Amino acid sequence: MRAYAEGLVLALISIVAIWGAWQVPAASPGDTWAGIVPFSASIALLFLSGLLLLGAVRQPAGDTGQEQDNGATLQIIGLFIIALIYQQSFRWFGYLLPTAIAAPVVLYFFGVRSWIGLAVAVVLCPLIFHLIFFVLLGVYPPYGEVFDLLSWIQG
Amino acid sequence: MEIFPALLSVITDPSLLFAIVLAAAVGMVVGATPGLTASAAIAMLLPITFYMSPLFALAFLYVIGKSGRYGGSIAAILFNTPGTAASAATQIDGYPLARAGQAGKAMKVATISSVIGDLMGDILLVVGVGFIAAIALKLGPPETFAIYFAAFVVIGSVIGSSIVKGLASALMGILIAMVGLDPISSEERYTFGSFDLSNGIGLVPLMIGVFVLGEVFAQLETRRKATGETKQNKSTEDGNSLTWEEYKPCLPHAFRGGFIGAGIGVLPGLGSAIAAFISYGEGKRRAKNPEKWGKGALEGVAAPEAANNAVSGPSMAPLLTLGIPGSTIGAILLGVFLIHGIQVGPTLFLTDKELVYKLFACGMLGIVAYGLIGYFGATQVARIILKIPTNVLYPLIFLTAFVAAYSARGSMFDVTVMTCAGFAGWLMRKYDFNVAAFVISFVLAKGAEETFRQSLLMSDGGALIFVERPIALAFLVIGAGAIAFRVRGIMKERKIAKGALEDA
Repeated sequence: MRAYAEGLVLALISIVAIWGAWQVPAASPGDTWAGIVPFSASIALLFLSGLLLLGAVRQPAGDTGQEQDNGATLQIIGLFIIALIYQQSFRWFGYLLPTAIAAPVVLYFFGVRSWIGLAVAVVLCPLIFHLIFFVLLGVYPPYGEVFDLLSWIQG
Repeated sequence: MEIFPALLSVITDPSLLFAIVLAAAVGMVVGATPGLTASAAIAMLLPITFYMSPLFALAFLYVIGKSGRYGGSIAAILFNTPGTAASAATQIDGYPLARAGQAGKAMKVATISSVIGDLMGDILLVVGVGFIAAIALKLGPPETFAIYFAAFVVIGSVIGSSIVKGLASALMGILIAMVGLDPISSEERYTFGSFDLSNGIGLVPLMIGVFVLGEVFAQLETRRKATGETKQNKSTEDGNSLTWEEYKPCLPHAFRGGFIGAGIGVLPGLGSAIAAFISYGEGKRRAKNPEKWGKGALEGVAAPEAANNAVSGPSMAPLLTLGIPGSTIGAILLGVFLIHGIQVGPTLFLTDKELVYKLFACGMLGIVAYGLIGYFGATQVARIILKIPTNVLYPLIFLTAFVAAYSARGSMFDVTVMTCAGFAGWLMRKYDFNVAAFVISFVLAKGAEETFRQSLLMSDGGALIFVERPIALAFLVIGAGAIAFRVRGIMKERKIAKGALEDA
């Protein structure tokens, strides 16, 4: 089942890639087509996905590959969703506020259960990262469109 | 001879010396921490190098890479957990030695052998790199494309358990690199109308995502499966010291390992794990006491360790002379060169020769630094690692990945790319796709495309130009041969496994 899924996902990616390469306009006279490499690479990928599917067909029945740990997968998907929300919230609330919230959440995810430790992370994580990257290295911090804690602190 | 003034220049620069010693210590800790790789550390530190001088940045990351390779042996010997894939070969004899109370002795053998191997690799690099660059200057676009093609195929097919998945990973890396504007005609490719995508996918966020965030996801999975806690094997008083009489039989194995590692290091994609295992196998075959190997032979530590570290220097040769990174660390270093506007390739030896030799000098001093720290303080490093709470470490790495990705260009789109690349990197690891081939191909794709299209223009659109030129043809044959060789090897393994099953 897993081998079929791998082959099908790869085939899907390659079909989308072929379609994308096909959208590239034709070359002007004396030039080479800008889509030649993406097109060739996606055709090769389609061929490889075919090989994976062929391998899946030949795989003996009952050989389902590795045992799946659904609990761990769900946890990782959960962490990925947190990551997506965290990075998106930079645009809305700047760097400090999302980091103050994300730090204890991620620590909890990794098994930290000390309430004092989590409370310290709320303050220390944004503070230390802000000092290193935005003060010492001089990177311009992301500005929160909805509310920016840094602007509020700086008055 | 350029290396001597370069060495003198680096030795007289206190800030560079400090960077080298710091990088040696950081690399050792990172390499010795199971689950944390030198690639991840270097990728995480990459945005910081925007604010450093090119030599300082390159030396810092290059020495972390070198020291990280050595650091893997600390975890392999003391905790029975290889810190890197290559140190799994060191573990075979290192851990039995540690269990016998000779952890300190094994660590000292690993340190001396690593230093010997690494120095041999670097000396061969310094001697040979100029010649390779001179030859590379004479190559035209068809030959260069054929070299790129061979690199794609070798990297895709040799690393990892599946050729198909390895090659598919390489192709996906190429396709992701194609996103954005075509550098020749400025036509949009795979942008789907998005302005952010028209700038292309950045190398730094992609690497941070795949190597750092992807590793955090993988660690979350590993933590659920891990049981028990890591304990350090302590040395007895006698087992801590190493005499010349004890090391003397290890010396030929260290030198042989050095040559094996240096030879394998020049070939893109093969890496230190292959070198370490070949050196171990060859050492055992030639050993006077093969029955002791696997049960705690000091020679069994020396052989793989020397080969593992000897890969480091020569793996820089294809990167510096052809712009083809032979390893993930090489790919990240290429990123540093590009960030600082330095064009890597044969012309590098005309435009920035001094920088290159100073970098080699920093590498050599880095070897001395990690050798001294390791010889006198490996057990202390092990104690530090045991004190690192991983449930705090990985969340901190998680948070660092976001701010590091943002810092590279101050772009929120880069943070989104990093997040998606992290998840994709974890998926690739989970389903046995080849992350190294993916990233290296991403880095190589633009150069390969340029040379391919230049070749087509040279021949008025005919692909026969690659077959008509002997050097180009030779590299195409090498690529095809690599696949054929690997397929033969896999079929042989399957036959043996089938035979064993039937016997059972």
